[in-house]
Amino acid sequence: MSIIEVKNLCYTYGKGTPFEKTAVNDLSLSVDEGEVIGLIGHTGSGKSTLVQMLNGLIRPDSGQVLLNGCDIWSNPKEIRKIRFKVGMVFQYPEYQLFDETVYKDISFGPKNKGLSENEIDEVVRKSAKFVGLSDNLLQQSPFDLSGGEKRRAAIAGVIAMDPDVLVLDEPTAGLDPLGRDVLLSQIMQYHKERKNTIFIVSHSMEDIAQIADRVMVMNKGRLEMIDTPKKVFSQIDRLESMGLRVPQITKIMLSLKKRGFEFSDGILSVEQAFSEIVDLLKKEGKI
Amino acid sequence: MIRDVTLGQFIPSNSIIHKADPRVKIVLLISFIVLIFCAFNFMSLALVTAMILGIIILSDVPVKMYFKSLKVIIVIILITSMLNMFYGTGEPIWQFGFLKLTLSGIYRAVFVTVRIILLILISSCLTFTTSPTDLTDAIERLMKPLKVFHIKVHEIAMMMTIALRFVPTLLEETDKIMSAQKARGADMESGGLIKKVKSMTPVLIPLFVSAFRRAYDLAMAMECRCYQGGDGRTRMKTLHIHRLDIFCIVFTALVITGVVLCDIFIVPII
Amino acid sequence: MSYISASNVKFSYDEKGKNVLNGVNLKVNKGEFVALLGHNGCGKSTMAKTLNAMLLPKEGVVYIDGMDTSDDEVTYEIRRNVGLVLQNPDNQLVASIIEEDVAFGPENLGLEPKEIRRRVDNALKAVDMYEYRTHAPHKLSGGQKQRVAIAGIIAMEPSCIVFDEPTAMLDPNGREEVMRTIKTLKEKGITIVLITHYMDEAVLADRVIVMDNGEILIEGAPESVFSQVNLLKKHSLDVPQATELAYKLIGVGIRFSKMPLTAYECVDFLEGVLS
Repeated sequence: MSIIEVKNLCYTYGKGTPFEKTAVNDLSLSVDEGEVIGLIGHTGSGKSTLVQMLNGLIRPDSGQVLLNGCDIWSNPKEIRKIRFKVGMVFQYPEYQLFDETVYKDISFGPKNKGLSENEIDEVVRKSAKFVGLSDNLLQQSPFDLSGGEKRRAAIAGVIAMDPDVLVLDEPTAGLDPLGRDVLLSQIMQYHKERKNTIFIVSHSMEDIAQIADRVMVMNKGRLEMIDTPKKVFSQIDRLESMGLRVPQITKIMLSLKKRGFEFSDGILSVEQAFSEIVDLLKKEGKI
Repeated sequence: MIRDVTLGQFIPSNSIIHKADPRVKIVLLISFIVLIFCAFNFMSLALVTAMILGIIILSDVPVKMYFKSLKVIIVIILITSMLNMFYGTGEPIWQFGFLKLTLSGIYRAVFVTVRIILLILISSCLTFTTSPTDLTDAIERLMKPLKVFHIKVHEIAMMMTIALRFVPTLLEETDKIMSAQKARGADMESGGLIKKVKSMTPVLIPLFVSAFRRAYDLAMAMECRCYQGGDGRTRMKTLHIHRLDIFCIVFTALVITGVVLCDIFIVPII
Repeated sequence: MSYISASNVKFSYDEKGKNVLNGVNLKVNKGEFVALLGHNGCGKSTMAKTLNAMLLPKEGVVYIDGMDTSDDEVTYEIRRNVGLVLQNPDNQLVASIIEEDVAFGPENLGLEPKEIRRRVDNALKAVDMYEYRTHAPHKLSGGQKQRVAIAGIIAMEPSCIVFDEPTAMLDPNGREEVMRTIKTLKEKGITIVLITHYMDEAVLADRVIVMDNGEILIEGAPESVFSQVNLLKKHSLDVPQATELAYKLIGVGIRFSKMPLTAYECVDFLEGVLS
């Protein structure tokens, strides 16, 4: 059953002014419960606008966003409730931290949701654990944490609302390779336990290839493709014409295939590439 | 969206008012303001009005922009003219209880209204035709003599420049933080005034933190670019007084003379 | 003599605190392009700031073109010669008109207006932003803003530019624009120190230096540094996927004449091996 369904969504910025710009144009899609969707597209392709329409931060000019089959704008006064069901982590989320302690900051969302003290305590500790923040950090000021810890505290603040759909806008931007790997594995661990739907926006094709069940590609406000990473990243020419790249390993293997070697399409990891090359070498008796 | 707000009121064009030296424009604006309050009779007021309307036509800025700036203060105009109307001295021509309408009251109301309108029009004209950067630049140069009194003219101007530069950036940032907190269920629309002010804390604190961070970065970037304060600093753009500016000054001087003559030789009404 | 010569540099942010730099020795020749790699907190940004006298070493010395950075007399001479481009392009721009921002540096140097104009125009042309000279910075993309910040440094006509993670906050297009700019600066003979944690940027350098824990871990030509895949992975650094694949293939007995760093090199080499 699809948890989110988007029907003919359109949104234009600055309507009627000289700065008018169509950000999302007649976009439809359907996402199943428990899927991890990777969202790619270059800057200005409408990704951010789309994800902000999923939790009702932006109201579409036309079209519908259905959450569990209900239009989220059927009752505009209740739109705040949607934000607890569709959690949104913005780019550089550490810049939204504000409270005296990490604990209080994480509990901001659950408090707005109207949970009781006991419930809040439980969700705060649970979500801090998900992102790997130890208990002794909870009583510190968020501004004393290191860069990576701040990022994780901010993400915990959204996870604490226990959303059915979690949207992450470039969660690894600005992190170093270690911070990136740790954060991604924590998100995937969380996904495994909570089994909710995740949208992840990223410029790193390597990351997307690694974690997404399906990849959606946006270009000029439209949905260009939505398919498995394997199929999407095989279409290297089409992606490059939209100013997007594919993971380096995929590119290497596709170029070799073009030159007449028998490899499968859309190889996404070094391990897979390695084993296919070794198989070929063995077949030809070279090793 | 907040970020669509354009800063300042500058409307680019190629009119002679745009081209005039910003220093000259500021000085002339000040003399016009003085002049507006020195017009004591209808003749001199008409002269100033004609002059200002002429400038407005020359400024090549859509008239509706001027109306827009007047709209903001329409309430003030109405209240002050009402008050003046009923505070005149002399023979009442209409009376209702303690409200006395006199001829001198009507004259005063007309004078005050026209003066405020002229004031707004001529000041808007300056901001419409001069970019904020030119304006700060001109203010810095005009205030230079104040250095004698140990006023940090360069520092003040630098602060204004940086403020102008960062207003759009911080507006955009506010927008982003507000969205992020709304996404965490923050309620910023409903509730009374106190609740609304309280609900801004999650926006204001991150904004301050970000402003401090930016200030730290910018200070470092400025030092890296050899900034050592105003001493020994030169400017790429130098301002020169052109024939146009001299013409403007002379013309304004003539109008001032005209107004003074009118004031002296025509008997003031009030 | 080397253009930059740092010997046994130690630094800590507070008196008793742990050393962020722990005896770094660094030599960079005139016109060289050096990439400084390492994960966050390894001391690479701190090292960058000692190169233009923004920070002074607690122990050890840094010489720039023979000038000691701890000598007050030459602080501004050093800053004019060694420009520093920072991570966040937004926080480096001072004025609300691009050309006036680029003029900020030369104005501080007290140059003649005509000379400033010439330098500003040249600098904006060098980063390909000349058409935007009268625009406001907040309307530009991240990559464009960073190029304007670079122009602001170029206008001081430095002989060396240190880039402190200039692409960390940019999208792939912006990163490419900035890297292209850096390459043209290198061709003009400007000495470049690029601090980054993107390996695909580091492979463009003449020499790669990997830092860890305030010390230099390894240094050498990109091919030789990146061939030490295990060591880099142990210090949680990325290796280009092309290099990683080659590394694995070496393990099963394939011989590489030269370690491939880019997709093209890898494809060409594998074609040879496979056919």
